[in-house]
Order: sequence, then C-alpha cells, then structure tokens
Amino acid sequence: MTRAKTTETTANVGRVLRLDSSRVTFAKTLVVCGVLLLTLLLIVALMSLFGSEKLPARAALCALISFGKASCGLTADQDAILFDIRLPRILLGAAVGGSLAVAGASYQSLLRNPLAEPYLLGISNGAAVGTMIALVFMGAQEWSRPLLAFSGALAATFVVYRLAQGRTGATPERLILAGVIVTTFLSSAIVFVTTLMDATRIRSFTFWLLGDLSGSTNKLLWLALFIAVAGTFVLAAHARSLNLLMLGERDAFDLGVEVSRVRLVVFIVASLLVGSSVASSGSVGYVGLVVPHLVRLSLGSDNRITVPAAAICGAIFVVVADTIARTVIAPRELPVGAITALIGAPLFVYLLRRR
Amino acid sequence: MDSKAVCSPADACSFFAKEGRRDFLLKRQLTKPRSPKLSSPRRAVSFALCLGLLLSACSTRQNSTVNDASFHQITDEAGRNIKVPATVTRFISLAPSITEIVFAIGAGEGLVGRTTFCNYPPEAAKVEAVGDTLKPSIERIIALRPQVVFVSTASQLEAFTTELDAHNIAVYVTDSHDLDGVFRSIERISDLLGRRPQADELLKQLRGRVAAVEDKVKPQPPVRVFYQVSDEPLYTIGRDAFITDLLKRVGGISVTADVPGAWPKYSAESALAARPDAIILPTGGSMGDANSNVAAPLKRSPAVANHRVYKVNEDHLSRPGPRSVDGLEELARALHPEVFSK
Amino acid sequence: MLEARDITVRYGPRPAVSGVSLTLAPHQVTAIIGPNGAGKSTMLRTLNGGLEPAAGELLLDGERLSSYSRRAIARRVAVVAQEADLRFPVTVFEFVLGGRYAWASTAGWGWETSRDVEITREVLRETQLELLSSRLMNELSGGERQRAVLARALATEAGVLLLDEPTANLDLAHQAAILALVRSRCNTRGAAALVVTHDINLAAEFSNQVLLMKDGRTVAFGRPEEVLTPEILKEVFAVRVLVDAHPVTGVPRITPVHEALR
Repeated sequence: MTRAKTTETTANVGRVLRLDSSRVTFAKTLVVCGVLLLTLLLIVALMSLFGSEKLPARAALCALISFGKASCGLTADQDAILFDIRLPRILLGAAVGGSLAVAGASYQSLLRNPLAEPYLLGISNGAAVGTMIALVFMGAQEWSRPLLAFSGALAATFVVYRLAQGRTGATPERLILAGVIVTTFLSSAIVFVTTLMDATRIRSFTFWLLGDLSGSTNKLLWLALFIAVAGTFVLAAHARSLNLLMLGERDAFDLGVEVSRVRLVVFIVASLLVGSSVASSGSVGYVGLVVPHLVRLSLGSDNRITVPAAAICGAIFVVVADTIARTVIAPRELPVGAITALIGAPLFVYLLRRR
Repeated sequence: MDSKAVCSPADACSFFAKEGRRDFLLKRQLTKPRSPKLSSPRRAVSFALCLGLLLSACSTRQNSTVNDASFHQITDEAGRNIKVPATVTRFISLAPSITEIVFAIGAGEGLVGRTTFCNYPPEAAKVEAVGDTLKPSIERIIALRPQVVFVSTASQLEAFTTELDAHNIAVYVTDSHDLDGVFRSIERISDLLGRRPQADELLKQLRGRVAAVEDKVKPQPPVRVFYQVSDEPLYTIGRDAFITDLLKRVGGISVTADVPGAWPKYSAESALAARPDAIILPTGGSMGDANSNVAAPLKRSPAVANHRVYKVNEDHLSRPGPRSVDGLEELARALHPEVFSK
Repeated sequence: MLEARDITVRYGPRPAVSGVSLTLAPHQVTAIIGPNGAGKSTMLRTLNGGLEPAAGELLLDGERLSSYSRRAIARRVAVVAQEADLRFPVTVFEFVLGGRYAWASTAGWGWETSRDVEITREVLRETQLELLSSRLMNELSGGERQRAVLARALATEAGVLLLDEPTANLDLAHQAAILALVRSRCNTRGAAALVVTHDINLAAEFSNQVLLMKDGRTVAFGRPEEVLTPEILKEVFAVRVLVDAHPVTGVPRITPVHEALR
C-alpha cells in the first residue's frame, strides 16, 4: 500500500471507531475492549500452536480448550511443552506487553509528551539495575528480583522528577532531558557491572538485557499477571484525571484534579508495572512507545479507552513478537526485545513523519 | 612511559607549538596587533620541526626492525598472514587456554603479559596482567613490548588487532573446533616459541590418554547428552563448539550437535523434547556455583530421573588446551562409570 | 461569593502580594490592573487555592477555602487562563466537556451524564462555538480557542470566574465578545468575575470595581471613576494620562500622553 493510502485507511478506521460523535462513551469502551480482548484470546490460542517443536494443531487446540484436562491424543512430552513451557511463556509475554504499554500510555498523558516511555525515562534501566543487584547479591531469594526491580524503577522515577524540577516546575521537556541523563548514566552502570562478570555470565546477561521471556518460574508469572491487571485497573480508574492532565497541570488543577496525588499514583503504579516486567524478562523496548501511539491514532486521546486498549494491544504485540523470536531460528532463540525493536523502530519513524 | 624511547613526535610537536604560541601571545600583548603575515614565520618553523621529527621517528622505527633478526611469514589458525620474528622471546597471552599451553610446553619465562582470568598454572600469577579477555589494556600491552600477542577467537578482538599491527606487534589467533585442532594449536604455538620437542612430548602423553579413553568407550553404546552451559537463559553447545567433539570421543553424543553456531541460546521446548539420558553441568572453577542446577525444562528428563546429572569442572572444558584432556577424562568417567570405576 | 482578607503571598524572601483584600460579590465584575510584576496574577492564583497565602484569610461562601476539597472548589470557582497546551488531538466538544469533571460522582473515573452533555451544548451555543464543536482544538484560531477556554470555565457552572488576561493576543472583535460573555454571565446568572488585564479602558468599560496594584500592594480600590484618575495612574505607571468620559458609554476613558515619539 502506498503511504498516502495507508494514512487514509488509518484515518478512516479512526473516524469509524470514533463513531463521529467525537466522544467516548461507556458503551463504546465496552465494545472496543471486548473486541480487543477476544482478539487477544485468539492470538494466545493461535501462538501456542507455534514453537521450535511441532505439535499437532488439532490435538493442541483441543487440549487448550479443555484447559488441559483432556489429553486429546498429545503425548506427555507434548502436553508438557504446551502447558508447562509455551503457555506460561505466552502469558508472561502478555503480562509484560500489557504492563509496558499501559505504563507508557500513562507517562505520555501525565508528562504531556508522546515520546515518554519507560525506557527513555530511565525507569527500565533503574529496574534493570535493581534486578542485577538482586541477582548478584541475593540470587537465592526469588522475591528479591521483583522487589528490587520495583525499588530501582521507583528510585529512577523520583531522581528523574527531582532533576527535572525547574522554576516553572517539571515541564515535559525537562523531564525527557532528565530521563535521558538518568538512562545513559544507568546504562554505563550496567556495563560496568557486566565487566565484573565472566564470559559466560556476560553472554546470558546481555541476552536478558535485550528482553528475554524464556526464563520464568511460575511464581514470577503469577505476580507479573496480577500486577499487569491490577495496574491497568488502577490507572484506568484515574483515566479521567489523566485526560485533564494531558492538557496541562495547571488547567487540570483549576478544574478540580488533585494533581500531586494523581501524579504520585501514576508514578508508583507505573514503576510497579515496569519493575515487574523487567524483573521477569529484562528490558523489552518500544512497547511503551509504539503501542499507545497506535492506539491513540485509531481511538482518540481519551484515556478511558486508550488505557485498557493499550494494555490489550501491548499484550498482543509482545506475544506475537515473542512467537517470532522463538521460532524464526529454531531451535535457537532471539531475544524478544530485538524483534520489538525491529518492528517498533520503523513503525515509530513512520508515526513521527505523520505528525 | 619507557624512558629509553625517543621523545615521541607528539611530545616534540606540542613543545614547539607551546613555545611558539607563548612567544606569539607575548608579542601581541606588548605591541599593537601585527598583520598576520609577520607572525606566520614562527608558526611555519614549528610546523616544519614537527614534520621533521615525525618523519625521522618513523624512519628510525623502520630501521630498528629491519636491523633485527629475520622474520618469516606464517598463517595463523584464523587464516591470517602474519610476520613473526624467527626467535620469539617476549610474548603476551590473552586467553587462559593459551597461558596454560605456554606453561605446559615450558615456555613460561617468555610470557610477559596475561589476562586476569589466566589463573592456571599457579606460576602464571607472577606474570603481569594486562586486563580481561574482552577489553585488555592496549597501552599496557604496547608498553610491555611483546613480539607476538596470542589471542583466542573466543574474544572479539578485531579492532584491537589492527591497532597492534600499527605498532608492528604480530597477533596470532588460535582457533580450535575440536580436540585435534587443540593439539595442532599446541604444535604451532610451540613452533613459534621454539619448544617443539617439549610439545611433542606433551602431545604424546595427551594423545595416549585420549586413545586410552576412546578404546575403553568404543564398545559402549553412545549416551545422549545435554551439555548445559547456563540455566537461565538456557544456553548449550552447538555444531562448532569443540566440546561437541569431546563428547563424541568419550562415547557420548550431544543432543544439540546439529545446531548451528558454537553457543546457541536454546529453546526450552526443544530441550524438553530432546529427552537426554545424561546432563552435564559445567560449573565450579572460576564460575563458582553458578549453573549448578538443571534448567527447568529438563527436570523431567530421563537424565534427572535416573540421577545421571554430572557436574564437571568448567575450567577444564572451556579452555581449549592441555587440560581439555582432563575434562575429557572427567566426561568419560561421568558418562561411562561402569568402564572407569577403580 | 469569594472574600480575600489581608492576603500575603511569598515566592521567596520577598512577598509578591502583601496585605491585599478583595470581595467578589455576585453580579459584580472586578478588574485588577497594575504594572508588570505587581502581583496581579499571583493574587488570582491564590483566590482559587493554587497558591498558599503566607498570611490572611480566604472565604468562599462564608467557609474557609482550605476546608473545601479540590473538586468542591472547582465547582464554585473557575479559572480562564492563557491558551491551553494542546499536544494531543482533542475536539472542541471534548475540551469543553472536560469542564464537567468537578461534577463527576467519583474522582478520576466515571462517564459524563446527559446533563453534562446538555450543559456543554448550551455553553457552546452561548459562546457561538456550536458549529466548531467537532473540530480539533488546534485547528481553531487564537480567538476561537480562547472562547473555548471560556466555554469550559462556564461549563463548570461556577459562581466565581477568575480570568487571567483573557483578551491578550485577541483582536478587537474577540476582546469585546469575551468580555461581553463574562458580563452577561454575571448579569443573568449572578456570577462574580475577576479580570486581570493590562487594558485599562476595557477594565473601565466592563467592571464594577477596580483594584489597582503596585509592588504587591493595593494602591486604590473602588469604582472605576474613583480609581482611574490621572494622579493615581501617573503615580503607578509613571505615565501621564488624560481621563475623560467615553463619548458613547460615559465610562472613564484613559488616554496616555507620551513624549513626542516621532
């Protein structure tokens, strides 16, 4: 499709979805989210049929539908592959994608900048440093990883926010600048720690840093899923405040928004979301940037619909990207962050040129 | 800096430039600004001096190498043509495997530099360290004035080799994909260092031990092995890893022997589907207790069910050198205990 | 009704506003004029709770301002500031509808009721933006955007309107339109309005009382005729002025007399 046609089609789709009444209603949100949720379920089911080992499609689908109760003719090994390896990994991908997309969407609304993203703001790196400290010093305790990741993300958030305080408050430009400073500083900290590791550790760590969904115990998976869902709900509950905040903190304050409280909630919840994602799968980039953008392009800027929609679309994006990462050079694997970057970067350039 | 070296051209240039600049500035302060034409002779003089020093420095270096003992051209194990002196008395090793080879053939006195990871044999600790395997200090290396620097393909040193070439330090790259390749490495390094007789003796012993093992395991059926390089993320050995060859020689067959590459990141599903009969966990040594647990997808494999999970000293297996045979014997004892019980 | 008693606001060691008192009563438009840095906008920001006064009292409908929640204040006091920062695409309708936030039953969530929509439509009619309601805000001209900002403030149904230089950067037609809207709100619905402006003649035209500030203090407070005298204005602005009566409306007309500039 030519560029002009693609633009037109996207705009038309957008117009249809906005239903030309230019207002988001409860009914519309329900419909859109319902459709997206259904799509996510279909994608999850479909992607579980792909992997480095071939599974008989019909038997696999039958087993999925019966929630693993019926064997449907799968061998014990195939059953283990489907339910112990593939499905948990797909669910983790959904949790990570949803968390990062929602965190990105909230930062963009709060900071009034479409470029705000957990990675750019140094929050992903903060969580990575926290995870690294947990791995090196408290490797035995599993809970230390998400806990320190969350602390790292939160610490980075507050450092960025303090750095960005000027006489006129923390303008979005200063926040992005502060975020870039913190990101680059933390990146060098990460590189420094890797120089203290031996060769084999470095290899596996570098892979993890690029986003790796292959290693996760069940406990971390449930934590990640819980945080993704709970975080989305909490942020969606502040969607109307975020709508006003998007038009300026002062205006929002005048119209009745408790700005500092909402800001605190968004920072904490977003740090939790980023922390849990990074603790379980390293830094998967571009999800928090590209997905909210696409969602806003098609559905408008009202956070009451874009926050839940971004969560679901982020989940879909990462699940698909991870399926590519684990099948394209099977039985070897690529880090999922490489695929999200490969798709996300050109997509982002395209979006930038549209504005 | 080495005090015997000639004042480097850079130092000379900056000296003259400073002098010229200082006079120039002084003159400007005392008198009215001159026209540019009058100040340029001073600049031209310092420039000419710099150029002269540079050229002379280059030529003296050239002269010194030509006057030394003769050189010959050889091809290293990565297929590169390099020029090495006929007698090598000063050299640096940038890989633990090479350090072990050097000491095993009795060439330790010529070793003037090593990496921080070169911890075997104990005598190696007396040699000066120039950094780690990934980012060694080029200044240190140059300051030690080696004639040859030995490098292993395991380190990514392409950019670095061009810099050493510029200082006329030969870089010899070792690259062994199997045990025979390791033995060849030992031979060629010993040729370079003039220790061929010692190497021959060493290789006779090593080859003998290998043959002994191979004979004992020949009648045994091969054991399907999964070699776990790291548990999370899951890494294993591929087609090009020399451990794959080792496993073959000890009556095992790596279930990932056909996977392209040397250290692939492996899919959990495929690890599960592989159902290995034995699992090797390289750990200990420099690694500490990392990788001492079987990765999750393998927890229900026959290997775990039959308690055939073996920990092996990682240092023996990750360094293609004389201790690889130690590693080979460890693997053989692990996979075929019935043949090797004392 | 909003009352400010002896307000002092500090930004650091020096007070930006000291000892200013003001009452905004229904049906009344009050103008604040004064040189740059006089503390006019600071005073305005303090009146809706945006800035904490270091001393003095603020009473909204008889109760202390600090006893109201943020949303409760927003239902009673609305601010019309300079143009909004519009980085995200939002339609005029959605923008004005945002003014109904303070009336939501839950903070931060909830959907607009049909009453909200009705009021928004009415306010858009009032400000003559009905035809533009489905256009994006950044497609509008400066004057139309300012009307939309005023419409949003009107949609809050607040009894007190605080306007910070609403006519800056607007052409004559739009200046008149905005202030006429404010005036009509005050007349018909009994709202109280405070307008911070640099345009002394507009202040004279539309306001019932004028507060003249300099260096954070009240210089004069009263009806336009009382405050806008040549002596007082010369003292505050260091510019000679002529004051006569507007030929049509009769309100004070201030004409500055500059040194020969040509």
